[in-house]
Amino acid sequence: MERRRQFLTGAAGLAGLSVAGCTNIFESDESDTGRDRTPTVAATVAENRGRQVYIPTHRDEMAMKGMAGAGDYRVGLMYTYPHQFWIVTGSETERVPFRDDDTVHLMTVVFDEATSTVLPIGAGVSVEIERDGDLVVEKSPWPMISQSMGFHYGDNFALPGDGTYDVTVSLSSMNVRRFGEFGGTFEERAETTFEMEYSDSERNDLEIRQFENRQGDPGAVSMMDMGMMPLSRVPAPSDLPGRVVGEGASGDATFVVSAVEEPPFVEGEDSYLLVSPRTPYNRVPLPMMALSATLESEAGTTFEGQLSAGIEPTAGYHYGAAVDGISSGDELTITVDSPPQTSRHEGYETAFLDMDAVGLTLE
Amino acid sequence: MHDDHPSAANGSADADGAPQTPGAADADRCPHPGEQDEPDRAAEPGADAGADGRAADEHPPERRPTDQRGVSRRAFGKAAVAIGGATALSACLDRFGHGAVPSGVEDPGTLPDGQHVWDEFLGLDDHDNRLSPRHHVVLLLDLTSEGVPSTEDRETVETALRSLERAYEWSSDGLLFTIGYAPRYFERFDADPDGVALPEPEPMAPFEDIEPDRPDAVLHLASDRPDVVMEAEEALFGEVDAANGRGMDATFEGVFARPDLDDTTVRRTGFVGEGLPADHTDVDGVPEDAPVDEESPLFMNFKSGFEKTQATESFVTIESGGFAGGTTQHLSKIRLNLQQWYEQDNRDQRVGKMFCPVHAEEDRVEGPGHNLGTDSGMDDACTEDVGESAREHGLVGHSQKMAADAREDDSPLMIRRDFDSTDDGHAGLHFLSVQQSIADFVETREAMNGTDLTDSSGVGQRLNNGILQYFSVQRRGNYLLPPRALRALPPADP
Repeated sequence: MERRRQFLTGAAGLAGLSVAGCTNIFESDESDTGRDRTPTVAATVAENRGRQVYIPTHRDEMAMKGMAGAGDYRVGLMYTYPHQFWIVTGSETERVPFRDDDTVHLMTVVFDEATSTVLPIGAGVSVEIERDGDLVVEKSPWPMISQSMGFHYGDNFALPGDGTYDVTVSLSSMNVRRFGEFGGTFEERAETTFEMEYSDSERNDLEIRQFENRQGDPGAVSMMDMGMMPLSRVPAPSDLPGRVVGEGASGDATFVVSAVEEPPFVEGEDSYLLVSPRTPYNRVPLPMMALSATLESEAGTTFEGQLSAGIEPTAGYHYGAAVDGISSGDELTITVDSPPQTSRHEGYETAFLDMDAVGLTLE
Repeated sequence: MHDDHPSAANGSADADGAPQTPGAADADRCPHPGEQDEPDRAAEPGADAGADGRAADEHPPERRPTDQRGVSRRAFGKAAVAIGGATALSACLDRFGHGAVPSGVEDPGTLPDGQHVWDEFLGLDDHDNRLSPRHHVVLLLDLTSEGVPSTEDRETVETALRSLERAYEWSSDGLLFTIGYAPRYFERFDADPDGVALPEPEPMAPFEDIEPDRPDAVLHLASDRPDVVMEAEEALFGEVDAANGRGMDATFEGVFARPDLDDTTVRRTGFVGEGLPADHTDVDGVPEDAPVDEESPLFMNFKSGFEKTQATESFVTIESGGFAGGTTQHLSKIRLNLQQWYEQDNRDQRVGKMFCPVHAEEDRVEGPGHNLGTDSGMDDACTEDVGESAREHGLVGHSQKMAADAREDDSPLMIRRDFDSTDDGHAGLHFLSVQQSIADFVETREAMNGTDLTDSSGVGQRLNNGILQYFSVQRRGNYLLPPRALRALPPADP
């Protein structure tokens, strides 16, 4: 996995890390890079955006506030300016504006350190913020995807001023199937507490970069390199386990299908149908979907049923099912029963909602 | 602050000239925390300090809801039950008067065998749903002595409780109460309670981290009258001599240690009923401008406790063994985090998450849902195949899970008697339920987790999974509520 081995200052990672690569986030000749600290840009949306992945109006730098272990998990904590985002139920989105008194968009990234895998677990995350022992706020942040960060948990928080905050991140046991090296892991609830320094001035030093010319155009900004944290992306097709037998698209998501024979990570199964939906451009996984599939061979229907979410280090987050065999020429239909229920940041909120079935003749 | 507004403070009508209305508001004569009595509905916060200095002058300054200048009537009321104590009670009575409370029975032996038999003594709403008493105090109690309780202590406790039954009518207008016992109590006998499985509380969800409550006993006082629950508490601990004008024949003094009034772990207070949550949004955990409906009985702005979503009392009554006629009680202390609920979710999402996505699609719920009548409106579209519904909608409703998976013989498994709270200055819920066995509670809570749905759909462990995203459980406790005849420090094997 792509991972930049950059030393993070401070044992608890408390230094405000200016995110490396931030000045080169977007391969273009845009000249509107600036340090515009007016957060009003955060409330705007690109006028001409279509129902596909598009380039957002702007992107903010992030302040890395620490990394720590919590049971089997590793957790990174960071913030940026308050953000609008969209929550999803079914195929409907609801725009969530930030409030006047919100000070930060606080994010946690949960990952496995040994395999550099960001874990899009099912949303049992809770954040409790205390100051001098008094509760400031407790929330279960939304599981969400953004172009810069990929999958993370986030929400806007109103921190009452500069100071030191104790931020406790709690994680539940994982509810997706774990294969391979992940077998038997992430079975316990865990938590960790970060001592987080916050100041308005530190936040206001975060760079905001606007994309005035290309906002709304199909495309995506590249992912931010987060130092010692892995990027939240699934493998390139050629790196998936098994034999890639097809690739399709729906709702601007890319569906890569691999046939894994005698999968080393699923005991006692002959063939494993691996479906790996991801965002275009950045290969961000699309968790919390309900998928089902029909596989037809010359002999008739060989599989019909649900695809279950699973995670394995070489495959990443995916959906799959054990099947009786996968052959060239088989007809595969993947039905999206519900699209990814993750909340969306700008650039992703119109995509991955209207998702027609994906029909493939397997190679 | 606003001492120049005496008319608002003393007035018998609000600023709009509306007369004081009798009825429910009258019952809340000495208001619960956060509650504003009718005449001052329009008074500005902080409008009243100097206007009614009488109570403040006549009582010692400590633990008084009125002891600071600038404290409005509303703030006064907000403080009363939550602060508790004899001084708060007397200030409350001085200020608002003590309307007639119906007296209890001469012979407590005529009351129902089960302490939990409340249903026929509760008020009804327009649809004949039972209305929980509006004000509640729950005390977690420890015995002062070690070992097996003495006969003398047992008689003292029984006499004290009978005094309450003689003082107040067994009803929402008077006082309803129960006393229960935790697993720790029965350790004194080196035996489990006869015929009752009473486990120590455990976390009930993969994301839960609870402190188990391990007192000896739990006392639940409930009434539509805040002054009644306060007075009963004071009388039981000998802080006032009389309850409803009748002298106490015994008190808990010397048997149970009195819980510290400031310790919200062992002294929990709350309220449920129309108007109360709407008046309490000035606490953490709920946006101050949250559009909590005046008709909503709970902070989440929807009705619960529909007649058909509650088990019957006979269903939850223990049928055999030494404690036949009793029941079990689960009590959890829950923190509500409703900022997302009110400021991020939209109405359809709230309706879908509380009830069922079909309810949102078809606009089945008006306001808090009184239009649904006596049940939550779960039909085949909601409950026939919850797994398929979750896959299709990416969402599963709270009521949907309850109706589909937490039933036996077409009955819910328990009776909810929960209530909201502003303890700790934070919106909360004291989830109190009675059921034949703790296993019935566990089964209900497991249905609420919807774990099987998270495995097979886009529903998360908390996201779009009923209302699980919006609260965190802090503490849990399991208790046995013996039948009335055995309620006073019972042996394990009666």
